[in-house]
Amino acid sequence: MSTAATGISMAAGARAFLRSPLFAALALALVWELAVQAFRISPRYLPALSAVLRDAWSIWPQLLASFNRTLLETLLGFAAGAAFGCLCGITFSYVRLMERAVFPLFVVSQTVPVVAFGALIVIWFGNSLLAKVVTAFFLTFFPVTVNTLHGLASCDPQRIALMRSFGAKGPTMFFKLALPSALPQILVGLRLGIGLSLVGSIVGEWFGETLGLGVMLIEAMNSDQIVRIWVVIVACGLMGALLYSALTLIERKIIWWRAEA
Amino acid sequence: MSESLAESVKAAPMPLVNEAAPAAPATASPATQPLLELVNVWKRFGEAPRQTVAVSSVNLKIEPGEFVTLVGPSGCGKSTLFNMIAGLLAPDSDGSVLFGGAAQRDGQLLGKVSFMPQRDLLFPWRTVLDNAILALEVEGVPRRQARERAEAMLPEFGLGGFGKHYPHQLSGGMRQRVALMRTFLFERDLLLLDEPFGALDALTRTRMQQWLLDLWTKHRRTVLFITHDIDEAIYLGDRVLVMTARPGTVKSEQRIALERPRDPAIVTSPGFVAIKRHLLDEIEEESRKSFLQEERQA
Repeated sequence: MSTAATGISMAAGARAFLRSPLFAALALALVWELAVQAFRISPRYLPALSAVLRDAWSIWPQLLASFNRTLLETLLGFAAGAAFGCLCGITFSYVRLMERAVFPLFVVSQTVPVVAFGALIVIWFGNSLLAKVVTAFFLTFFPVTVNTLHGLASCDPQRIALMRSFGAKGPTMFFKLALPSALPQILVGLRLGIGLSLVGSIVGEWFGETLGLGVMLIEAMNSDQIVRIWVVIVACGLMGALLYSALTLIERKIIWWRAEA
Repeated sequence: MSESLAESVKAAPMPLVNEAAPAAPATASPATQPLLELVNVWKRFGEAPRQTVAVSSVNLKIEPGEFVTLVGPSGCGKSTLFNMIAGLLAPDSDGSVLFGGAAQRDGQLLGKVSFMPQRDLLFPWRTVLDNAILALEVEGVPRRQARERAEAMLPEFGLGGFGKHYPHQLSGGMRQRVALMRTFLFERDLLLLDEPFGALDALTRTRMQQWLLDLWTKHRRTVLFITHDIDEAIYLGDRVLVMTARPGTVKSEQRIALERPRDPAIVTSPGFVAIKRHLLDEIEEESRKSFLQEERQA
């Protein structure tokens, strides 16, 4: 009845599979399906996975289009937030005055619920792609800023002294030492940001849109389609996992040294 | 310049000399101008009532081509002194640092001295080769050209075939050699080495010392070498400067007239042992003093 685990479990490949996130996901899916059937859970509380998948299949074209739309919003918002956050982090770390003056405003901006902001954003940017990108951006830039700032600030003072003794100044110091040593911390910020960016684009869609996972979610809630809500949840989870693992892959490529250091 | 100097660095007693020792090589011809000269250098931290004096009234002179070692107990201000010589820290205004005869103001020494700190400080994202050329890159040498120069030096530093490795793949001794190579490639007249072998095991350290001497014999750069290991100081140096603790100052100097090239076995020779005993006495006296001082304060 089940997948791996038996028979070939001695093989290294199988063991690697057992430890992989894919296996964990499959295991969770299995537990979900079996638990719902075994305990006769009412679909109102938790529909079976098979039911969710069937529903997803029935609206496949709309689901795919929504998925892509939300993905696009998330990526654009994330890119803008990451770029802006890095820039702010760098500015703050080199211009103390800016940190003193502007950083508290950033903190305040993050305590305002994004939902409150969403309404304003719709007024400002209308019912456009831009409006969702802005909400995604709004949630992304802060963790990136904080982590960039922190990464740059925690640069080893002895390495800085060494570079100074070589006569290094400003840009040389930044590109050859400060930036590379801050990269791992910046990546932490990006990983936090990517999840929040997805939340941002979904919330953004609530304020008026015709396409997107957020729209599907609102519609399902309004028409009390429990299974549909689960379809959206699974789709969002899938997108989050996808984005996160893509980022991890990039991280391994550009800061491979971290793992061994 | 310098009325104060020649006297302030006390001429050390010289009876402990090896037989047939030739005059220390390339040094001490009084006609040449010292490469580096410290005149009454102080460094105080903090304000009057709670002030700590890290370095007090240091006078020293290093001739071109000389290998000078500086030995002293931990916390005696060695690193503060080094940072001042590297230009990273400004000495208090009542003293001055002269380099090649010219007084150096704040930060003017930066980029003039090849400085190697205690930790290897290799950049984990750079290969051995790219770590070695770091200073050259900072100077603006094109990367390709710098790599070619470094590539040619790898075997001499015992790193042949390791150019493309990353620091985490190397042993402690090799990492230290990469750091030394980086320091060497930053071609300045004065090499400033701060306990470069302090973290290595005894056997590796002995090998590295020998190898450093070979390198020095070949390239004849002026070296100022900090250590807390008396054997190391005597084995490597033309002169050993003894630093006292708190406030740190150069208490005495000892010319080491042991023949070069020196064999590691020299550490058991009577000449070496006599020098060592003499230095130990001086350091012992100092550390007793600072110990008492601490007790009084407690």
